[in-house]
Amino acid sequence: MEHNNNTPEEAKEQQPSEPSTQQAASDTKEPIAADLQQNINTVKQALGNSDDIVVREIRIGKVGNVKAAIFYTDGLTGSQALADFVMESLLMDMKNTELDQMISFGQDVLNVLKERALTVGGVKEVADFDVLFHSLLSGDAILLFEGHTQGFAIGVREWNQRSVTEPATETIVRGPRESFTENIRTNTALIRRKIKDRNLWLETRTIGRVTQTDVSIMYIKGIASDNVIDEVRQRLDRIDIDGILESGYIEEFIQDETYTPFPTIYNTERPDVVAADLLEGRVAILVDGTPFVLTAPAMFTQFFQAAEDYYQRADVSSLLRVLRFFSFFIALFGSSTYIAITTFHQEMLPTALLISLAAQREGVPFPAIIEALMMETALEILREASVRMPRAVGQAVSILGTLVIGTAAVEAGIVSAAMVIVISITAISSFIFPAPNMSIAVRLIRFPMMVLAASFGLYGMIAGFIALVLHLCSLRSFGIPYTSPLAPYNANDQEDTIFRLPHWRMRTRPRLISQQNVTREQPSTNPRSRT
Amino acid sequence: MLRKMLLLLLLGVMIFVTGCWNRRELNDLAIAVGMGIDKQDKQYKVSMQVVVPGEIAAKKGRGASPVTLYSAVGDSVFEAIRKMTTNSPRKIYISHLRILILGEALAREGIGKSLEFLTRDNEARSDFYIAVSKGLMAEDILKVLTSLDAIPANMLYNALETSQKAWAPTTSVTLDELIKDITSEGKHPVLTGIFINGEPQMGNSNKNVQMVDSSAQLQYTSLAVFRGDKLVGWLNEKESKGYNYIRDKVTSTAGVIPCPKGGELTLEIIRSKTKVKGSVIKGKPHIDIEVRSRANVDEVECQIDLTKTKTIAQLESLGDARVKELIDEVIHTVKKEYKADIFGFGDAIRRSNPKFWKKAKGRWDQYFVDLDVTVKVDGQIHQLGTVSNSFLERIRE
Repeated sequence: MEHNNNTPEEAKEQQPSEPSTQQAASDTKEPIAADLQQNINTVKQALGNSDDIVVREIRIGKVGNVKAAIFYTDGLTGSQALADFVMESLLMDMKNTELDQMISFGQDVLNVLKERALTVGGVKEVADFDVLFHSLLSGDAILLFEGHTQGFAIGVREWNQRSVTEPATETIVRGPRESFTENIRTNTALIRRKIKDRNLWLETRTIGRVTQTDVSIMYIKGIASDNVIDEVRQRLDRIDIDGILESGYIEEFIQDETYTPFPTIYNTERPDVVAADLLEGRVAILVDGTPFVLTAPAMFTQFFQAAEDYYQRADVSSLLRVLRFFSFFIALFGSSTYIAITTFHQEMLPTALLISLAAQREGVPFPAIIEALMMETALEILREASVRMPRAVGQAVSILGTLVIGTAAVEAGIVSAAMVIVISITAISSFIFPAPNMSIAVRLIRFPMMVLAASFGLYGMIAGFIALVLHLCSLRSFGIPYTSPLAPYNANDQEDTIFRLPHWRMRTRPRLISQQNVTREQPSTNPRSRT
Repeated sequence: MLRKMLLLLLLGVMIFVTGCWNRRELNDLAIAVGMGIDKQDKQYKVSMQVVVPGEIAAKKGRGASPVTLYSAVGDSVFEAIRKMTTNSPRKIYISHLRILILGEALAREGIGKSLEFLTRDNEARSDFYIAVSKGLMAEDILKVLTSLDAIPANMLYNALETSQKAWAPTTSVTLDELIKDITSEGKHPVLTGIFINGEPQMGNSNKNVQMVDSSAQLQYTSLAVFRGDKLVGWLNEKESKGYNYIRDKVTSTAGVIPCPKGGELTLEIIRSKTKVKGSVIKGKPHIDIEVRSRANVDEVECQIDLTKTKTIAQLESLGDARVKELIDEVIHTVKKEYKADIFGFGDAIRRSNPKFWKKAKGRWDQYFVDLDVTVKVDGQIHQLGTVSNSFLERIRE
């Protein structure tokens, strides 16, 4: 591992943007000067005399003849660590030891200090201002010496951060309750806590000219396909942007197809899901500053697999998964089927039902499609409002929503009760997916489906459905067909597609994702094979 | 990119300029559930019983009639239906037709021409039942409001279905069956009759259903016999039941038989299967009818010891005799009075001896009159109900 630094690496929130811009502008590698005062001036000037940059000048050595300066960013650097491991080491502990002598009498100050004095884990040598600023603004303390064109970046990063909490978006009944945080180092640690194999490799690069965001690739060497890893690396290296603020930025840059509502990269805030994906041979992409970790390649069926599926009994999980696929179709076609049948194919309904529906529609002034679009729009507004609004007004909105949409609209005769039922069921069905981005995709497709149904009836819906299937089949995620293992069909991978077979039956990893090391378990794990 | 956008735009335009061909909202439909066809002079008088959805709705409603009737006179059925738009706000929608009533006067002149529209129109389905109004205009039947089912046509549909299943003298006929019978050379059609029990004028108002004992009630009666598409006469209830035995349409019914020592006993037929076999013996057609039925004892109003196997055997043969009598009677009546093979015996002969049928089919009605029919009934009594011997035996006199 190249990055031997075991301290937290970087937090971007508190970085003042101004000095960074300047730094980005002066991209030429300016070496550190031998004159300490000049260096101090350069740093101060470059950072616009920002108040949170602290410069402390000290003298070390027996006679205090070595002038040095410590730079650090207040708030990103642990003051306790700085005091204990840097200041104290340099100013107190060295007193009256041979080190003092060595420094004072012109020995190689840098090596002596690095090897024998600084009692902190991460010490990197800094030779130019690019590295200096990056380290300084990442929270390292910078130590420069008079007469030396090199200095140290000392890893004493420490800042306020959120602790590991329960996941907010992917809640489950049974299973681990931790979720990622905004700190990439915490996140990698959470994954390493689950997978202790030495083949779990981590590669980090900095993306974003201004934000200098750390982006890490994590994979299990020997399980993940090298092609996919290379592809991920290449796509990440292609990104040239001023800032990366969330993994969504990365996702949009590296996904295979932009013009599709379907997500071709999975994202999750659950370490156990990432661990499971890594074990299946996927690659995880962690971005500093967000709890959402990307995994690729992603399959269509993956968005129907909840983490809990693997913690519960296989039969229960299979039932729930079938239910999710069923709801997918309801969410997609529920409202459009209702529109198509009631405006084009009334003869398909049983007489009693037709009369009952006609009775409800009596006096409704709008065509079914307008009625449906009105309800859907109202519902989307409600949904969006409930996500966006402050917690305190949440109750008011939900009461208004139920009253206005559920009751008043029907009683006023603006929409029919049947339509409210249909729209509600389709809406609820779209919330069943474990991955929220799939439910957004489904809701998006629902609208063109409704227009097709209102223009051509069931014929239009079938045409739309065929187009949808063709589109899904045309998608790829890092070269892997999106609809696999359904199309192309792979009998072996059906063990975890529509049904979730018992763990002892899922003996191989998904075929298309990992070509090497495909066996997950030995046949002897089958409890029935024991005699 | 530009081409793609253009293509998308074109597709979008295609959706919106179609004008949504054939699109009809539910509240643009006049859902016709009952249809009546009568003869008026040389023209057809078509009546449509149309649902008023607002009155059916669970909550609302002005307390008006749940159905309304539109009728119009025209040279053809379709013309009359289209003419109804002059007094109906919505176009008549006949896909959900439940029952078609043919007036007796029309039926006597021939029903064939009036049915052609229903077989041709793309909206019409053939799953509705057909009945003949006995002694009345079809229109009058559709004017009667019913109580338990607010939509009279629905009530007629369900009543015909249940009575055929549980009572037997009625028979449900759908359009395709009727057309098949009309055109078949080996079978003439029958239709169930319907009439108004009470005063027909009273049925027209909501008052009719506000009473416990409605003053006008729709009631199915026995079967109408057709020769070709013309009504030639009516069977009585017993004969109708016999007809249904021959046609294997009896699912369940009640049969009253005399007890050996006087009094009566009722059997509930729970299953019945009839086989009709044709044969030609020495150039003469012959029909064998074999009925196998299963029955339970359902009511005992006589002195009898049901615990003995001998009594059961005795009852079985009495039951068989009764079924045989029903069958013989209807064959006799139809042979004598109507001379129309409504039983499909001709079809049975055709199936067994096509060569003979080729020669005979032209004069089949004459053959039918002298047809030899052997009836064999094999009934079995399976259960006696929840008691064995009746408490009547123990009544002290």
